[in-house]
Amino acid sequence: MTKKSALFLLLIFVLALAACGGGGSDEAIKVGAVFDLTGPTSDVGTPYSEGITGFVAWYNENGGVDGRQLELLSADYAYAVDQAEQLYSQYVGEGAVVFQGWGTGDTEALRSRVAADEVPFMSASYSDVLGDPNEAPYNFLIGTGYGAQAVTAVQRGLDAGATHFAIFHHDSPFGQSPVAMATAYAEANGATMDVFPMPKGATDYTAELTQAQDAGIEYILIQNVSSPAATLVKNVKDFGMDVQVVCLNWCTDELFTSLAGDAAEGVLGASPFAFPGSGAPGLEEMDAYLKANGSSLEEKGLRYVAGWLTMKVMTAGIEKVVADGKEVTGPNIKAALETMGAYDTGGITQPITFSATDHAGNKAVQFFEVQGGKWTAVSDLIAVP
Amino acid sequence: MESGIFHTTYNKDMALRRTPIMRWRIILAVIFLVILPFVSNGYSLTLANQIGIAAIAAIGLNILTGFTGQISLGTGGFMAIGAYTSGILAAYMGIPWWLTIPFACVVTAVVGSIFGIPSLRLKGLYLAIATLAAQEIIQWAIVRSPLGTDALVVPPIKIFGTSLTKLRIAGFGGIDFWFYWIIFLSLGGVILFTVNLFRTKVGRAFIAIRDQDIAAEVMGVNLFRYKLLSFATSSLVIGLGGAILAQYRGIVNYERFTIEASIFYLAVIIIGGLGSVSGSVYGAIFMVLIPAILNNIGRALGSTAPEIARLVPFARQAVFGLTIILFLVFEPEGLAKIWRDIKDYFRLWPFSY
Repeated sequence: MTKKSALFLLLIFVLALAACGGGGSDEAIKVGAVFDLTGPTSDVGTPYSEGITGFVAWYNENGGVDGRQLELLSADYAYAVDQAEQLYSQYVGEGAVVFQGWGTGDTEALRSRVAADEVPFMSASYSDVLGDPNEAPYNFLIGTGYGAQAVTAVQRGLDAGATHFAIFHHDSPFGQSPVAMATAYAEANGATMDVFPMPKGATDYTAELTQAQDAGIEYILIQNVSSPAATLVKNVKDFGMDVQVVCLNWCTDELFTSLAGDAAEGVLGASPFAFPGSGAPGLEEMDAYLKANGSSLEEKGLRYVAGWLTMKVMTAGIEKVVADGKEVTGPNIKAALETMGAYDTGGITQPITFSATDHAGNKAVQFFEVQGGKWTAVSDLIAVP
Repeated sequence: MESGIFHTTYNKDMALRRTPIMRWRIILAVIFLVILPFVSNGYSLTLANQIGIAAIAAIGLNILTGFTGQISLGTGGFMAIGAYTSGILAAYMGIPWWLTIPFACVVTAVVGSIFGIPSLRLKGLYLAIATLAAQEIIQWAIVRSPLGTDALVVPPIKIFGTSLTKLRIAGFGGIDFWFYWIIFLSLGGVILFTVNLFRTKVGRAFIAIRDQDIAAEVMGVNLFRYKLLSFATSSLVIGLGGAILAQYRGIVNYERFTIEASIFYLAVIIIGGLGSVSGSVYGAIFMVLIPAILNNIGRALGSTAPEIARLVPFARQAVFGLTIILFLVFEPEGLAKIWRDIKDYFRLWPFSY
């Protein structure tokens, strides 16, 4: 054999190897993710991220997708948008077919990019606009949209005979997200809605509450994270106001009850997800996994449930692609999520249903009430009116 | 063996590139920048583009803070003005993207000079607080406006009817690739403009104000006029950075332009070198790459030493702060000075004194 032909054979061999590497069916499926472990939202970002990593570990132990493992490419981005962009391009460049984001900042910043790159994207930011495929074709919502949550809470107030509503919100796009929908719904039903932005870093909301009392407010919705929400309900208690307070998604958690203490008693929470200990069968696998690893779901809390479930629904889309014998790509996973029908979450949420015209998969919330320092279910899952 | 750089004519002394080595270095840098996008992947292009945009905005801030001595904590707000102007013009008025960028620069310059008015009376810490107010006012206005509820989606750029994301020539393409050229051509333009600015009367007036404002006034520099001019020029360049960022990312959200962005750019020019154009570029490279490098170290450790890898995100914050402190203590003139020291060392070697 001449030197030249030997080289030629070697080249073919190398190319064949490369081809095998690219199309092998036992290759891991790569999932990109950014977590907030050190940034301003790390208190809730950490358990959420543990839910995602926990699910991937549990799922791989149980055989993965038809023998193929999930490979999680993830890092902390400290809630910095440019960090999220770097990590996103790095992981997608390394072959991540789907992506798990976290907050409003990164979800919005990557929205145009995931559509251009055709990477299905889920996060814990539940802006209603993300559920509209015309606006955000590759974003999928697992939690109920903020506006939809607020509307359901208003309906609960209307049922209880309230006519004067107020919404206290985080002074940001995240906080303003449900305001327009909630106001429109209240006014369409003959009620009023006052809007109070909660200034950044405020330690007291007595001024706003005085105004609310003068306006005869009976029902207060809070669209904010736990620590300012806890301050607000403490003020409500000190002020002796006779109002029903309803926390939306981001203050309905264990952090809120521990921060607000006694003042939290009787506060309602609207949550798309069932609390640990509520007996939903879907929670058992998480608890079993955590107990086997020296922890428990009680300890990790509601945000862990949300992280686990979000990753689980995304994996269901991947499973369908593999079961249909198609190649695992972004557009195929998007199509699978849109066509897989109602996905049963074991009672944690309403069955999650996506379609080609609607990516708001979850359209129900459950109401919980703080009783004896614990969130206790006071309703079944209620469909968004 | 050379014993120093001597110029025999005034023209030579005033030249932009005073030695042949400087000329060669620039040629090499340009060759490197031209080749880079053809050999790098999406990740390195993203990093390069982030560096480019950070360098543009940092040069803008350096004109004001480094050269004119007026501290500013409003960079994030001014970038937001550029980004939102460009985005709104493209999204709601159908103006072509390349035309929105100069518009955005002019609008930012006007807003910047309005917030520059207090600088006549305020100096140092007081001016820092006044510009901080600019940052907060701009942010407040954006959040409370109808734009505040949802992110502003900028329509995708089309060239000859093809979307830039899909456009491929000879296998090269994608949004990162095309924007690399837009960003680095703009950066080149900004560098040329700024370096030359400080060879003109206006630029010299800026430096005179920085070094001693009373002396400058005695010499006939109209303080108010030149301070405002400095705010306008600086904001113009910062607005350019914001406008390019808006077009590049295709979406504008206020969370990118908070006080943290302002502090980031201040850190860039302090680490890079106050009053140095090349320093702004070095600072941008440093500040963008350090977190990326630490992240990758964390990943590499993840497989061999997971316990240490878990600490990396926390260590990253500490390393970041520590670097800034060490720079302030040991080299307040920044990376530009370090680079100059290295050059001097080799030029004078082995007989340095």
